[in-house]
Amino acid sequence: MTTQSLSAGALHADRIAKSFGGLKVFHDVSFTVPAGGLLGVIGPNGAGKTTMINIFSGRLGLTSGQVMLGGTRIDGRSTFEIAMMGLVRSFQHTAIFNGHSVETNLLSALRFSRRDRSVLERLSPLLDQFGLIDNWQRNAEVMPYGLQKMLGLTMALATQPNMLLLDEPAAGLEKSERANIDTYVKFAREEFGCGILLVEHDMEIIKRLCPSVIVLDGGRLIAEGPPTDVLSQPHVINAYLGGSDEEDSDVTH
Amino acid sequence: MESFIATGLIGISLGTQYTLLALGFTLIFGILGVVNFAHGGFYVMGGYVAYYCNVILGLPYPVAVLMAMLSMAALGWLFEAFILERVIEDHQATLMVTMGFYLVMATAILMIFGAESPQFPFPVTGVWRLGGIYFPYANMIVLGACLAAIVFVYWLVYRTNIGRGMRAMSEDLPVASALGMRTKALFPFAFALATGLAGGTGALVTPILALAPHVGDSVLAFSFLTVILGGLGSVTGATCAAFIVGLIEAYAAVYLGGSKGALTLFALVLIILVVRPQGLLGREVRRS
Amino acid sequence: MNNRVPKSLPAEIRPSLFSGHDWIALAIVSLTFVIPFTSTNPQVLSQTNLILIAATAALGVYIMQRLDLMSFAVPSFMAIGGYTVALLSMKLQLTDVFVLAAAAFLMPALCAIPLGALILRLKGVYFVLVTFVLTEIVQLLLFEAGPITGGSNGLVGMPAVKIFGMELWDNPHVLLTTCGLAFVSFIITSVFTRWFRSEFAAIETNDVLAESLGLAAWKYKAMAFSVAAGVSGLAGFALVNMLLTAHPSSFAPMSSVNYITYTIVGGKASILGTLIGALLLVSATDYFALSGEMSPGLFGLLIIVVTMVARGGVVGVVSGLLYRLAGQSPPLENGEHYLVVNGEKGQ
Repeated sequence: MTTQSLSAGALHADRIAKSFGGLKVFHDVSFTVPAGGLLGVIGPNGAGKTTMINIFSGRLGLTSGQVMLGGTRIDGRSTFEIAMMGLVRSFQHTAIFNGHSVETNLLSALRFSRRDRSVLERLSPLLDQFGLIDNWQRNAEVMPYGLQKMLGLTMALATQPNMLLLDEPAAGLEKSERANIDTYVKFAREEFGCGILLVEHDMEIIKRLCPSVIVLDGGRLIAEGPPTDVLSQPHVINAYLGGSDEEDSDVTH
Repeated sequence: MESFIATGLIGISLGTQYTLLALGFTLIFGILGVVNFAHGGFYVMGGYVAYYCNVILGLPYPVAVLMAMLSMAALGWLFEAFILERVIEDHQATLMVTMGFYLVMATAILMIFGAESPQFPFPVTGVWRLGGIYFPYANMIVLGACLAAIVFVYWLVYRTNIGRGMRAMSEDLPVASALGMRTKALFPFAFALATGLAGGTGALVTPILALAPHVGDSVLAFSFLTVILGGLGSVTGATCAAFIVGLIEAYAAVYLGGSKGALTLFALVLIILVVRPQGLLGREVRRS
Repeated sequence: MNNRVPKSLPAEIRPSLFSGHDWIALAIVSLTFVIPFTSTNPQVLSQTNLILIAATAALGVYIMQRLDLMSFAVPSFMAIGGYTVALLSMKLQLTDVFVLAAAAFLMPALCAIPLGALILRLKGVYFVLVTFVLTEIVQLLLFEAGPITGGSNGLVGMPAVKIFGMELWDNPHVLLTTCGLAFVSFIITSVFTRWFRSEFAAIETNDVLAESLGLAAWKYKAMAFSVAAGVSGLAGFALVNMLLTAHPSSFAPMSSVNYITYTIVGGKASILGTLIGALLLVSATDYFALSGEMSPGLFGLLIIVVTMVARGGVVGVVSGLLYRLAGQSPPLENGEHYLVVNGEKGQ
């Protein structure tokens, strides 16, 4: 690895491995998300993608290897510590504070990350486009799924991270809502200069957004490169055909 | 030396009682995810039912024990099906209703039988002696009955389909439901099994220890100690911990005196919480 | 969608620190200051005293409820506070009410920190079990540590406390001390719980999300446990001061159930619920005094009823009705969903 990619804010996984008991979830995986960069992560279900996000965000420990954020080692630290260092994750299923308004949800995100309200002003185009301003005082729990999901994503961004881990942001969204993910990712990178690790099943989104992807299968990194190249490699296709991919339709569309 | 062995025997027989209580408690927690605050109540009420059948109605003692078990199982079934089931999704609500039910049970006993401890002697008297070792026949019978009950529970949990279903549910509820386990039917069954055991234990043990409306409090505290020590939800852990608790209590009562035994146990629990918070044999308990 | 006028962010509404319920509760507590000056009826004085002590003790339950944790530890920390005061006044002749109150708050609060660190990293269920066991330990320790605690005799013969050198010795004065302690406790509790309400609400609803946004949840839990312990200590002070004795029976393990009942039956969503719960239930216990053994059964029944059909407790049901009469829906956050239909948890 060059020292340049380890400059402030880059996320670097160095030969990381994780096993539960005797079961290896993944092993010997290394890659780097440069500061402000965007790296896609794809792979069939059970490839260890969410486990990886749980490790980076401090919910799980590593078995071996190390994770660096900028010049600091972050594996083994607690979730809130890592978040305060600028690495924030989103959740695959909706994660919001139920029973509270959209406003309170966003203000909580600001408060917990010690940001002030000016961040909301900067986010307001995004909030408007997602329809969150229209639902400002509404109980977030009773909003449609898509809105809840965009609220959760916007809350992660409201902490002004320098590295975002997005765990299948498009999962569960209607086809028509998926453009919001494009907007979100572009906005995060352009307005906030935020690096992103994007775990996603929707290959269209991956192809549209990611200059580069890595492919995980059975806990190993089996390919990396631009999405179109990677997806045409025979062993990647095999991995997908072999795996039970519930979102097959997304690949073919 | 003789007193050391005799104390050990007492400890082991205490251990079997705690095992029965802790097994019921652990089953309920493992399967329903409920901390049953009413557990001590079923124990005391079992004791009083046995007392009523044996002393007041004059039924033979074994029948009285059986009645205690069956009536407490029935009460547990009704409580689960009609009250607990309706709030089963909310852990705090389950806590509140079981606690409320315990208070109601304790007060009901107080109103029916009064605050005085009734005379409820164990029907078999006499002491078995070998050299200098003394062991009352009553304790021996209770020990045997409790051991039989423990074997029965283990057989049920590990050797039958019902037990497999119950264990599957305690390990992973969604999976168990997906596999078509009849969750709703198993909940009251598991609860009734546990409360029946508690009632039976009460019927067997209260003639030896004490029968009074409030003895459920300390039974509950000891059940808590046992499950913290053994690991919440772990059947084997509860069994091991119950014997440890029984032995420590017996030896501390003889060699330290007073309530030092209980304090020793509490200290042990604190150490366990520091060193191994999941208990001796429990699974991961930290918040994920 | 694309050609509509972009909307700007709605203006910021700064929520006030205290909600209406906080103000009402604080007003009621401060009104009790009138009683020692206007009444000499011993029945009224002792009843007010008991209600205020019960309400103050139940605040410990209320604080931990902000985190959805059920605490049985109130009697333990009351005992620590109460015995601290008794020892200071008897052994060191410290009788200044401010010094004693500070000690009664700080001692349990400090004890709670290592203990909280121990149990708050575990699942919520363990918190319940451990706090329950803790009250049993403290009870035993009070009996066993005879040289310090006086064992089963307790510590008898405390001197009266003094304010600015003036002795507070007769019944109205004792009530005045209780009023002061209760008022301080209510102020501390409402400022503390309202100041950190976003944090507490977030930890209660989704602690995983809160931590991933940068919130150190354990700090807030430990802080809450410590403040709850301190407030319980003040209640212990008031109780010991009323009885002029520190005795283990004042801190019986099962009394924790009473404090839980006050908070739950009154309505756990606001501090007013704790006060109203203590007021109604202590009065009810007194009313049914003829059959004093009945009160646990009554409490048990009430707990079941409230949990099954009226999750908001007395305050929740009443304010729900008031909102309905006024033709409004209850506010989203301040009131935390008062009327809960069908026994479902309304969050």
